[in-house]
Amino acid sequence: MAFNYENYLRLEKMPTLWCWGCGDGVILKAFVRAIDSLGINKDDVCVVSGIGCSGRFSSYVDFNTVHTTHGRTIAFATGIKLANPTKHVICVAGDGDALAIGGNHTIHGCRRNIDITFIIINNFIYGLTNSQTSPTTPQGMWTVSQQAGNIDPTFNVANLAIAAGASFVARETVNDPKKLEKTMVKALEHKGFALLEVLSNCHINLGRKNKMNSAVENLSWIDSITVSKKKYDTLAPEEQLNLLPTGILKQDTEAAEYCDMYAEVVKVHQGKRKTITQDDFKKKI
Amino acid sequence: MSKFRTQNPGNQPVWVNTSNCKACDICVSVCPSGVLGMVYEPTSTLGAMISVQHPEACIGCMECELACPDFAIYVAEKGEFKFAKLTDESKARQAAVIANKYRSLSEKGAR
Repeated sequence: MAFNYENYLRLEKMPTLWCWGCGDGVILKAFVRAIDSLGINKDDVCVVSGIGCSGRFSSYVDFNTVHTTHGRTIAFATGIKLANPTKHVICVAGDGDALAIGGNHTIHGCRRNIDITFIIINNFIYGLTNSQTSPTTPQGMWTVSQQAGNIDPTFNVANLAIAAGASFVARETVNDPKKLEKTMVKALEHKGFALLEVLSNCHINLGRKNKMNSAVENLSWIDSITVSKKKYDTLAPEEQLNLLPTGILKQDTEAAEYCDMYAEVVKVHQGKRKTITQDDFKKKI
Repeated sequence: MSKFRTQNPGNQPVWVNTSNCKACDICVSVCPSGVLGMVYEPTSTLGAMISVQHPEACIGCMECELACPDFAIYVAEKGEFKFAKLTDESKARQAAVIANKYRSLSEKGAR
């Protein structure tokens, strides 16, 4: 008997519509295993996804699910979380969904530090619509919208989230599903906004024209641009230039969580306490 | 039998669900001991299908199951099966399978 994935998946939707070797399937598997290892009841989980290949994610998991409009995962999830503060709300979005169309929602979700786990599946391209340049497409790569080679600089997703104020920021790859599962468990356990960027492969739409025609070749390219945080910190600045550190990059358990503070606002209006002041927060400005 | 076939079909270290497999080669590439190999399958979209070639060499590392995006390959639990140790012969076979473009060595040349 292997791990029973059937408990957590909608079997009538299987097999998945994703291409062969797509990293989304690995992330789906790691997510299901992480939920199982935490022993969370299926009814206490809500998965919110947007548009894109990653949007299919909510169709396959047998939790409470919402398939929302493009880039608005955090907007919907914020409402769900505020109405159900005891439940686990997980957002899944692709790099285009989270950083281009929904970029504003992402940074403000980070800023509010609301208790949502945000999984960004970064495959470096708009895969569903056939390879247009996304905010994370590496410079110099061929895309349909920039056929002479992409000249747009890229977002560093983890640094963006840290700067915007997320209290848990991590980066993992689909190359190491065991580590991905462990980090996902930590992200789900964290109280506050947990952003987990997962570097994934799209050998069909990114790889085809960029000399990574198969899943294995694309995965080895991802392996070549990532390095563990421990090792990254020992490197000289010029060696760090083209590498992305993986692992937990920021974890702040002290920051005030939005649902908790909102409960205090409710108390003020019920007359149970005086107004909220700067002293209620550890960080004043 | 359930749809995913997560039940062990009978004292196997590793088994596959061929109706879910899309033949992406990832499981074959991550196996350390040359257990797996792709075989010719004309009805599959990519013309190939996963097969377990050397179950006796499986070390139970779970790499193939975790790396499979399509829930098509399963590894027995640790207490359920007595797994083999990693040998030089297994490592050499894995290198040969990768050199053979992830095809099973029993099918050398067929593509």
